[in-house]
Amino acid sequence: MVQIALKDLKLFFANKRATLLTFAVPMVLITLFAFAFGGVGRKKGETMPTRLIVADVDNTGESKDVIAQLDSLKEFEVILKNIDEAENLVKKGDEAAVLIFHKGFSDSLNVGNNPPIEFKYDAAKEAEVGILRGALTGNLMGMIGGKSMSKTIVNKFDAENQNLDAETRDKIHAQILNNFSPEETKKQSRSILKVTPLVAEEENSPGLVHAVAGTAIMMLLFSVSGMGASLLDEKQEGTLKKLLYSPLAPNSILYGKILSTNLISISQLAVMFIFANLVFGLDIYSHLFSLLLMIAATAFACSSFGVLLASFSKTRQQVQGLSTMIILVMSCIGGSMIPTFAMPSFMQKISAFSVNYWGIQGFYDIFWRMLPLTDPTFLSRILVLVLIGIVLNFIALQMFKKNILKIA
Amino acid sequence: MISVTNLRKNYDNVQALKGISFDIKKGEFYGLLGPNGAGKTTTISIMSTILEPDAGNVSIAGFDLKKNPTECKKAIGVVPQEIALYNELSAYDNLMFWGSLYDVRKGELKSGIDETLKRFGLYERRNDKVKTYSGGMKRRINIAAALLHKPSILFMDEPTVGIDPQSRNLIFEVVEKLHQQGMTIVYTTHYMEEAEKFCDRIAILDNGQIIVQGTLDELKSSSKMKETIVVSFVNLSDDLFQKISREWEGLIRVENSVHFYTSNVKSDLSKIILKCSDTGLGISHIDILKINLETIFLNLTGKQLRD
Repeated sequence: MVQIALKDLKLFFANKRATLLTFAVPMVLITLFAFAFGGVGRKKGETMPTRLIVADVDNTGESKDVIAQLDSLKEFEVILKNIDEAENLVKKGDEAAVLIFHKGFSDSLNVGNNPPIEFKYDAAKEAEVGILRGALTGNLMGMIGGKSMSKTIVNKFDAENQNLDAETRDKIHAQILNNFSPEETKKQSRSILKVTPLVAEEENSPGLVHAVAGTAIMMLLFSVSGMGASLLDEKQEGTLKKLLYSPLAPNSILYGKILSTNLISISQLAVMFIFANLVFGLDIYSHLFSLLLMIAATAFACSSFGVLLASFSKTRQQVQGLSTMIILVMSCIGGSMIPTFAMPSFMQKISAFSVNYWGIQGFYDIFWRMLPLTDPTFLSRILVLVLIGIVLNFIALQMFKKNILKIA
Repeated sequence: MISVTNLRKNYDNVQALKGISFDIKKGEFYGLLGPNGAGKTTTISIMSTILEPDAGNVSIAGFDLKKNPTECKKAIGVVPQEIALYNELSAYDNLMFWGSLYDVRKGELKSGIDETLKRFGLYERRNDKVKTYSGGMKRRINIAAALLHKPSILFMDEPTVGIDPQSRNLIFEVVEKLHQQGMTIVYTTHYMEEAEKFCDRIAILDNGQIIVQGTLDELKSSSKMKETIVVSFVNLSDDLFQKISREWEGLIRVENSVHFYTSNVKSDLSKIILKCSDTGLGISHIDILKINLETIFLNLTGKQLRD
């Protein structure tokens, strides 16, 4: 028994790929998840600042003062943008919300009117928006609410007591400003921040869209790596050599493989969305053309990834080892496992290096953000996916010529 | 039909082909014989366009291989040594696929497949998946796949390796018929009896060179020896073999036996027995073989064909 166990251990550790998959891949994933969820990389007790996009249209001393106060808080990482740029970022899904200090903010504050501050948000990112709103409401109230409220009371007092002498008036004003109750301030807090959805909330549950898009793309990547590996099976079984005997151009063999992988990928994604429609009621018919276009682009990029993997490898076993590692990492950073908005900002930045990210964002555009087919943001996702596909296919073709066509 | 001139191919530091040349006439059955590593598969791979030579020229059916590979490919059918089929597809679907790679009209291809399947005795099982076939049946389909576009030249690389007698006989029948119909066939094999039975001309390759080529009769008559005396010993050692080699030229040792090539058995046999006795070698058995391809091959290369 011991001899068998020892022999198996020896065999296991002799297989570098198996060892890598057993130990290295889980470690990589644990690291990625730890960064995404566990607050790794921060000091004990330190909270992760939330990105707050601010557009200062008012551009006065008062607005700048409030923005500086917000920036000094550990909860926020304030990023100043002009209003068009800020709104565009939210529409594109790059940011969850924008806080706008409209023209007249300073004047309103000085006369005691409600200051025009607006919080425009992407309803699809409910978790992130909720965190931002919660933190903003309390803090803004402390910064603006007291001043605004006391001004309102002073103005009202002055209007009703116009015959008072200046000395008495000043004393009463000071009393109002000093004794202004925070509770009273909080009562008015909701009216300070005007809240407007910039990207409307839709019937399709964000969770459902994420589950379908994220999972479908991750599983598609696994399928296409298997399909790509059939190229190596052909080499191993001698059918590739036999194909080369025929008048078929050698590159056509790869193109044929890409085509079949694409068709199967399109079917797989389409079936996943039909399944989500039939079982979970995901509305796919209102966005049919956008959906078909995004499915085709995602399938193209994913298929190219599968073929590329095969063209780099020598055996099916190598493809399996490589694909498991790369797909799990891409799915983790690209948002298949965890929505990207729940990740720290540095991970959100690197997520763009995965096929998953562009596919998932494209499906968010369709089902959450309701972007039309002609919207530049939506089209840019399609373009990126197609470009990924073209580049990967080009590299795959070169590697195919170098590695796979080397028959002798 | 095929012209090969000064063909050279190196793999890293190994010279696989050292400038071989040969011509094959239309309708000829040409055998390429040689031990493993002699250069047969490299030659076939170059002629079938999947390997580029380092030097030399090849012309197939009047087309230069370098300038017009596609036309060359259309003219040839290749039966590879390995069984290269899709196991999950039926025999019919396999043939349909392989045939469709050539410019054959669908109707013509379908009738060609039916005819070929009947010829190879597999028509009844045409819709069964290839994975359910025996090794011999798969080999028959492997050959059938190379014939669907009616090539004028057929390259067959060890087509009868590891098969049952029934399949072997069927393949022989088909090959013979194709030859009778005028197809040019280039055949590599380890089986000397196959080469003797079918080949109009034979080339023997060793270490990337053609040692000799010609008809079987030409090979026999060009050989100085007429017979082989095969003497088996009970105590053959390297030292004793060295001793006897000094006394007799061109000896070849095969395990415990020594091959003595002779043109006069009567006088040489007694000399051999005496020499062996003097050297201290104990004889266990003596065979006298008539000259054949096997003995010519062994004499020329010093190796058995299966080495």
